[in-house]
Amino acid sequence: MKVLTGVHKKIKDLHPHEAIAPGTGLCAGCGGLEGLRMGLKELGDDFLICNAAGCFTLLSVYPFTPLKGSWLYTTMGGPVPAAQGVRDTLDIRMRYRGLEKKENLNVIVVAGDGSSNDIGFGATSAAIHRNLDFIYFCYDNEAYGNTGFQLSAASPYGSATQTTPSTDAHEAGTEINKKDLFEIWKAQKPIYLATVSPREPIDLSNKFARAKDLQGPRMFICMSPCPTGWGFEPKETQQIAKLAVDTGIFPVKEYFEGEVVHTVRPRKRLPVEKFLELQKRFRHLFEPHRQDEVIGQIQNRVDDYWRQYE
Amino acid sequence: MWRIRMHGRGGQGIKTASQMLGSAGFYSGFQAQDFPLYGAERRGAPVIAFTRISKDAILERGPISSPDIILIGDETLLNDPQSAPLCGADPSTVIFVNSDRMPESLASNFSVTAVNLTDLCLQHLDNRMVYSSALSAAGARLLGIIELPDLLQAVEDELTGVSSQVLRGNLNLAREIFEIIQPAVISEKANSPLIAKSLVFPQHLPVVDGAPIILDPGNMALRKTGNWRVERPKIDYEQCNNCMICYARCPDGVIRTAPDGRPEIDYDHCKGCLICAQECPGHFINTVRETGMFP
Repeated sequence: MKVLTGVHKKIKDLHPHEAIAPGTGLCAGCGGLEGLRMGLKELGDDFLICNAAGCFTLLSVYPFTPLKGSWLYTTMGGPVPAAQGVRDTLDIRMRYRGLEKKENLNVIVVAGDGSSNDIGFGATSAAIHRNLDFIYFCYDNEAYGNTGFQLSAASPYGSATQTTPSTDAHEAGTEINKKDLFEIWKAQKPIYLATVSPREPIDLSNKFARAKDLQGPRMFICMSPCPTGWGFEPKETQQIAKLAVDTGIFPVKEYFEGEVVHTVRPRKRLPVEKFLELQKRFRHLFEPHRQDEVIGQIQNRVDDYWRQYE
Repeated sequence: MWRIRMHGRGGQGIKTASQMLGSAGFYSGFQAQDFPLYGAERRGAPVIAFTRISKDAILERGPISSPDIILIGDETLLNDPQSAPLCGADPSTVIFVNSDRMPESLASNFSVTAVNLTDLCLQHLDNRMVYSSALSAAGARLLGIIELPDLLQAVEDELTGVSSQVLRGNLNLAREIFEIIQPAVISEKANSPLIAKSLVFPQHLPVVDGAPIILDPGNMALRKTGNWRVERPKIDYEQCNNCMICYARCPDGVIRTAPDGRPEIDYDHCKGCLICAQECPGHFINTVRETGMFP
């Protein structure tokens, strides 16, 4: 197994630069914001974010922006085509119009799981195919959070959303499995692909530091615990993120040079219930009566996943 | 017609409170209308909700600009320019504030009732701060035209799906608040006709003036989200060993490293998610309930 050496080893090594000013309208305790904050620390201020409509629309609300870099707001399906346009413009101007190299920008797409898995999915696949030089940051809170938490292709089996509540006819709530975006993107062999968790800031920072110096599509999927949609107290965000990793539900991994490496491995996997029972979206699995079959299926899926890597 | 406007924060149950009050009015034999108004923001950001209750058909639509009763669920909003809870109030307006003290400067101009709903909620609702039942009970009682059984029925209706324990807590809470508060004297407002604004014709401007371009990057810090806080994290510097875990875990990046290496919380922007208090390895960050600053 190839071991990639990180640049950060402890919390105090983290980049002191804050790329996102406080004062944004995002929910208190937003897990995705923490992920983006850590990522942007590494990338510096020379960036242009193409943002898909979603929760993070609230980052920049005219006439205010928390960013030192630029911001381009697009439709839910449009951030990647926008990134292509910006990248091409920069390249052409640098080549023919005398734009200086130091004026170059990192083109970053920031999109939610709805945009990444559903609406903007095709355009992203096309961009990876064209080997577009950009960074893609997907904050995955497993539903359309900004509009009131409706089902997306990233909503996990057994969770309740606005459009898939637990009912007599559909006791489990969501009855289909979460799309495995990592595997789908991996099949197209982007130069770099990683999942990150806000609970693992050092791992996250190292991954962004590594991606910064590469060229081509660099894809990130960030586990984003959502106090509002998942139904837990804002202060528990980090605890939930930790349990997602410790139960093995969210594998923290990277794909680089043809290999998948789990960069954070739970030593002994906790039962998935530990993660499920703290959230309102899974409460119907425990109350008024326990749905052992559904919980068992979730556990089996996690076990099956890890069996491949044991 | 009675016009009631409620102010609170996302997640406190303000929208539900307006629905409960509307339903209670309906059960007491009146016509009712209720709806919320909020921007793109979510939990913690100011929310406004409206209820109209009337003996006759309600033909009026849209936000209430001159309310008979203003219910303020969160005292920290009194100073908030975005929420502006006192907007449209005149000396006849009845104001209710969720607070443990009487806002003196307010009381000299308006008829004000102040009750500490927060403590009652914590007591009845298993330490949760959701004001829906409490605020609707306060509104119903101040109005003086709604019977207690109708209010309780409305609370029960709006809370379908909650556990029986939570429902019982809410009913007890509503009952207790109904007993504490006395009906207010609400004087009939003179009916002034609404005047339409004159049409404004759009002008063509050059792109630099017309397009939404922000020339001062990072200016989001001008917006103070500090008043979202219900509880304030406080670092115990006697014990703190500067491990900076709080700095790494804060989603909004409002904890910075002071020149002497200590973590420092920016209270102008801290939204009070309390992740830092939860995550501090030695539990050296305490939490203190915020109290509002009255105008």
